[in-house]
Formats: sequence, C-alpha cells, structure tokens
Amino acid sequence: MRGLLDFFRDFRVRPEVGKISMWVGISLGALLLVAFIVLSVMAGSPKDAVYMVRYALPHMHRGNLKVGDAAPDAKLFALNGTDTFHMRERASGKPLVLVFGSFT
Amino acid sequence: MREAHPTDEWQMKSNLKDDVCYAQPKNLSDRLAIANDFTKRFNYPVPFGVDGMNNAANDAYAAWPERLYILDENGKIAYRGGMGPFNYNPAEVRSWLAARYGEVKHPETKPADSTAPKAQETPAAKPDAKSSIL
Repeated sequence: MRGLLDFFRDFRVRPEVGKISMWVGISLGALLLVAFIVLSVMAGSPKDAVYMVRYALPHMHRGNLKVGDAAPDAKLFALNGTDTFHMRERASGKPLVLVFGSFT
Repeated sequence: MREAHPTDEWQMKSNLKDDVCYAQPKNLSDRLAIANDFTKRFNYPVPFGVDGMNNAANDAYAAWPERLYILDENGKIAYRGGMGPFNYNPAEVRSWLAARYGEVKHPETKPADSTAPKAQETPAAKPDAKSSIL
C-alpha cells in the first residue's frame, strides 16, 4: 500500500509523453471536425448531419445478399390493406425488378 | 417501408417544398395511407406492395432508404443496386435489363407534376413485357 502511495506521489508525466498526447488529441479533434464538415456537406447542413447520424445511420445496412443468392421471400400487403402476397409469387419463371423506397 | 424523412424525424426542406409531409407510421394503416397517397399522386403504374410493420422485406433486402434489385427467372439475385440515395441508379437497371433481354423502346413520358420528388427516378414507362416490376 505504501509503495502504491509512493508511486502516485512521485508520478510525473514525462514531457515528451505529454506532447505526444496533446498532438494525438488535436489530430483526433481535427479528424472529427473534418468528418462532421464532410457529413454536413453530404447531408445538406450541420443540422441535417446530426439528424442523419441520429435517424438514418441506425437503419442503413449493407446487408449480406450477393448476386447469385436465392432471393429472400417476404409477405407484402396490397394497397387495400387486407390482401397480402408473397414476393416469390411475382417472380415465378420471369425476371422481376424490385424498387424499394418510401414516399418521403 | 419505413419513411426516410418523416416530420417527426429527419424532415428535409424538400419535403416541405414538395408537400410530402408525413409522420413516421406507427401502424400499418398509417403506412398504407402514405402508400395510397403516393400511388394516387403519381398515378403509379406498376404493381405495388407495402412492407408490414415487422419490416420483413426491408430487413431481408437491406432496402432502406431505397434500393433496386433484379431477380432472374430462377428467383436468384441477378442485380443488386447500391444503397440510395447516392447509389440508387435506375439507369443502371435499365442498362442491365437491355443488355440481358434486349432494348425496349418506350414513348417519351413527362412527369405529371414537375415538383414531384421522384417522378423521374421511378420507372415511368410501362414495364417490359418480358419482366414485371413489383
């Protein structure tokens, strides 16, 4: 216990370590700033960049489907809300284009 | 599927400009209402399906916010587009289909509403007789 107390009493950050830490911090800060600026330009404004990170990124997925994979099936609703159909029903024996999107 | 820019999340100026303002649907009725507004506004000419609130299609195809696929005659993925909006490329799909199944001439079409947000991105022409668009 006494040894530990002595260690902390005598602990000093060596000047070169302090300097390196400072530059690492500055570099990381600069990188974050650049990333935020790039994101703001991509999204349209700083506010859009924040919203993009908050609302869009959690829902963006690359997925693991590849060309040649069997197309997954899913049940979809017709516009009347009562009828349903499976995607595979529409793909039997002919090519099918899937256009995914939302109104907004 | 899940809205990309609803009023209660990341609404954009273009949503106001184009009068496309909806809250994120909390139930299937809300989602169907938006889908019906869309098809009516643009006279959407191709078969349309609405993902359930479990987002099964979206999850299976990593589709959000927008993405294009072509499935071949055997039910396999023949083309997988990039994630929209930056890599959403209908022209690439048209080229792919033309290369695989031959060029199809479509009459010149103009969007019904020039302020429509995606009128030119959606396949305005009638679907190829050899293929269907879901």
